[in-house]
Amino acid sequence: MSDHPEVQRQVESGIDHALAEDADYCDVRFYSKDKSEFLLLYDGNLEANDTGTESGLGVRVLWGGAWGFAASSDLGSIEETFRRAVRNAKTASTLVRIPLDMGTQSPQKGSYESPMKVSPFEVSLKDKLDFLQRIDRELEEDWIQRRMLRAGFQERRVRFWNSEGSRIDKHLCNVFGAMMIMGMDEDGRMQRRSHSLFTTGDGTRGWELMIRPELFSSHTERIKTELSQLLKADELEYGKRSVILLPGQGHLQVHETIGHPLELDRILGYELSYAGGSFVDLGSFGELRYGSEKLNASSYGGVANSPGSFGFDDEGTPEKNYLLIDKGILVNALTSRAMVREANERAGRKVFEGSGGVARASSFYRAPIDRMTNINVEPGDDGSLRDIVEATEDGVILDNPTSWSIGSNREHFHFGCEIAWEIKNGKRTRILKNPTYQGHTLEFYNSLSAVGGRSTWRVEQVNNCGKGEPNQTMEIGHGVPVMRFDDVVTGERG
Amino acid sequence: MLDQKTRELLKKVRDEAAEKGVSASFTIHREKSHLMRIGNSSVSLNTSEELTRLDLRVVDGRREGTHTHLVELDDPDTAREALDVAVKKAAMAAEKSYQPLSETVEDDMDESPQFDSALANLDPAEKAEAYAEIFSRTGDRYNYSGSWSSGVTEIYMVSTANEREAYHVGTDQLFSVVLKDPDGSWELRDDQTGWRFDQFSVDDTVRRLTSLLPVFRNNRGFRVDEGEYTVVLGSGALSEIVSFAVFTGMNGRMWEENQGWTSDRKPGERIVGDNLTVIDDPGNENTFRFGFDLAGKTRKSFPLIEKGVFKNLMYDISSAARFGKEPTGHHTRSPSMVIGTGDGPGDPLQAVADEPRVLWIPALHYMNMPSISRGIFTGSSRFNALLVENGEIVSPIFSTRITDSFQNVLNNVRTLSSTEVSENGSSTYARRAPVAMAVPSYAVIEGVKITDCAESF
Ligand SMILES: [Zn+2]
Repeated sequence: MSDHPEVQRQVESGIDHALAEDADYCDVRFYSKDKSEFLLLYDGNLEANDTGTESGLGVRVLWGGAWGFAASSDLGSIEETFRRAVRNAKTASTLVRIPLDMGTQSPQKGSYESPMKVSPFEVSLKDKLDFLQRIDRELEEDWIQRRMLRAGFQERRVRFWNSEGSRIDKHLCNVFGAMMIMGMDEDGRMQRRSHSLFTTGDGTRGWELMIRPELFSSHTERIKTELSQLLKADELEYGKRSVILLPGQGHLQVHETIGHPLELDRILGYELSYAGGSFVDLGSFGELRYGSEKLNASSYGGVANSPGSFGFDDEGTPEKNYLLIDKGILVNALTSRAMVREANERAGRKVFEGSGGVARASSFYRAPIDRMTNINVEPGDDGSLRDIVEATEDGVILDNPTSWSIGSNREHFHFGCEIAWEIKNGKRTRILKNPTYQGHTLEFYNSLSAVGGRSTWRVEQVNNCGKGEPNQTMEIGHGVPVMRFDDVVTGERG
Repeated sequence: MLDQKTRELLKKVRDEAAEKGVSASFTIHREKSHLMRIGNSSVSLNTSEELTRLDLRVVDGRREGTHTHLVELDDPDTAREALDVAVKKAAMAAEKSYQPLSETVEDDMDESPQFDSALANLDPAEKAEAYAEIFSRTGDRYNYSGSWSSGVTEIYMVSTANEREAYHVGTDQLFSVVLKDPDGSWELRDDQTGWRFDQFSVDDTVRRLTSLLPVFRNNRGFRVDEGEYTVVLGSGALSEIVSFAVFTGMNGRMWEENQGWTSDRKPGERIVGDNLTVIDDPGNENTFRFGFDLAGKTRKSFPLIEKGVFKNLMYDISSAARFGKEPTGHHTRSPSMVIGTGDGPGDPLQAVADEPRVLWIPALHYMNMPSISRGIFTGSSRFNALLVENGEIVSPIFSTRITDSFQNVLNNVRTLSSTEVSENGSSTYARRAPVAMAVPSYAVIEGVKITDCAESF
């Protein structure tokens, strides 16, 4: 590490210290630079022009089957940070019923760079604002009451070491963008339409991602037309019908009811006091019919251009591409090293082959936990959105969440969406406002009756997934096609 | 703790900025945080962080820029560099259509209204010992999880607007334990909150958990049919609903922009039942008390809803500037919301002794709002939820969803407890920000809409 030789030296001696203190395992992440920027144009006014920089070191020590963690932004106190982490682990080990065990993994030497041409931090504020203001002007109309344009950028340089001799360098970049407009409907209530920057899964994810018109800026006219229709729309009436989820909504459905319930730390009960548990148990793998035969869900999925692609996780495991749900049957989970060992031991059989490489931390001062990567639904063979609509008797197409509320074990859910298009006998009829739908996870995925082809599939970016204590916000990707589910409860009873 | 040297350093950089005619505010947020996490009856994480953040905001005519640097602040050059970033950002920013306001420390302040050195210096081993005692006294056959967060938050603020300085230091803690039956699928939870270590009691948690255990061990879960019910909302559920209602209904920006559920109403009009009063009261001991906000404004008792009447709107520094209003002290992460108590008996079972069937929902999980404009919220029961008939607990209930409106629920409060409790609403996303709400220990509400129920807890 040419630019921080002193950090390198102290980290190596810190790991030696931890091992000399009989630690089972130790890992360290040094963020030499963690930069973030957030811009918000609100009705044309630059209401947020924020940047942040963080740098520091986080040390995690497993001692006597328990984790101790310590972090500091003070590079003058690296030695003390190691000592504190060891001390914390020793204290933790006084109350251990099920010791955690990382197993062994061969040392990893490697690096990962988010594919990027132009760092968003090399683009001047003026150029960024020019770009956003141009879109803002396109959104401006007398009848539009609110306009919001958001842009968020992250760039991180992280070095990872562990006591097995792994050393990994990561240079991660994320670009997020969203636009939203609001207007008053005939009942005097605010309606909204939005669009978020997505990826095709390929290409690069620097500033150049944001300025690709087909991914972001060219959607202004569409959302304006849709909002104008919403303002005159009827309300979605309560009833059971098919719902066709566009990726703008489908990705959140997948996130909440496939991603979260399949995090192994949740399944094993490590999130019970905060995020919740899971209706899935260790007996479910290889057995549980999670959805219809049309459902194939994967982790990572070989997606190059996504916030959920990061090369190596935060305990030195290379990212892996694997199926979670195979033709409707649950086959795997989102796994990390200690969780896999504990699960296999508890089940008394080898439920999981090895770590799925999903342990991630949101910053240097947080410890890694099981996180979604890219949680995808594979494209199906039911053609285009138009093909699916033509094959639908009675349903609604739904897009973009306004609200999401999920049961604590992810067994049931309720979503509100921005817009619905009614379908009767294979034809789009009216636009409907205030759509909501609710269901029970297994019943819902078992009613999956159509999965769109590759042309309907895209990667939606999530930058606000909250989990863990102390709390962490994580960036995730979801490659999803258009999906149709039947007999879903939609709307609210009068 | 923030030493005099750091204060002097920041004041020096502030003075330099003022001399150059720069309008800037400097806020240090320092936390000493500890968290012990429990999973599968073991400590799953024992973590401590000591972090200092310097927040800078520069107003340059109608332009502004903010920059946050997570840093050890031992050198004036570090503060100068961060200021320089914010100055350049403001210079390059787009002009606003209105004049932004600058942070101004209104009164010199050096406050520590809730600081407990025992909590600040708590040995993590004491937390592990307390959990071990709870496990053995409540029953080793159960599987326990939980977390215990404690720490010190310091905020120090100066700005170029004047020479004044404001300093706050306080401690806070949030303890939780979840008990899971190894054979069944039910869980029980207990929480404790406060700013002093001696507010925590192993006995209280053991007593509350053991009193509920027989109900869950001896009865199957009850699946609630959709429909309208009389519901006893516990302090957790009540604080969640009222804080969502206040932050979408009494938020100045949302009201001015017709986004909130009160946008078609005006201050002075009755908007909810006349037994509901909500005040932001930074003097209330059951909240985490902050004497100033992050714009430097001195925080005072501020009525939001008085006997059902819409009293005031909250304006932070940016919405005040945008709409030409005075900031109201709400540029804060730590409001002190207080829901007025009623005359209900201490025991909610007594309050519903004559009701044939009541749902007792202590807390709501994952609340959200499908329509802010119409005041519609949804969330589901989690932990310790019970079916009560004629004042007797009958059985636990499965995960049950409420989807209703503030207008309906807050207009139909029949009874409010006469006992006030503290409900901790802190999160630890990014930085330590203690929040607690003072609320009646329960509310009995009629005609609450239940829209779904699972077959499990
Ligand atoms: Zn999430």
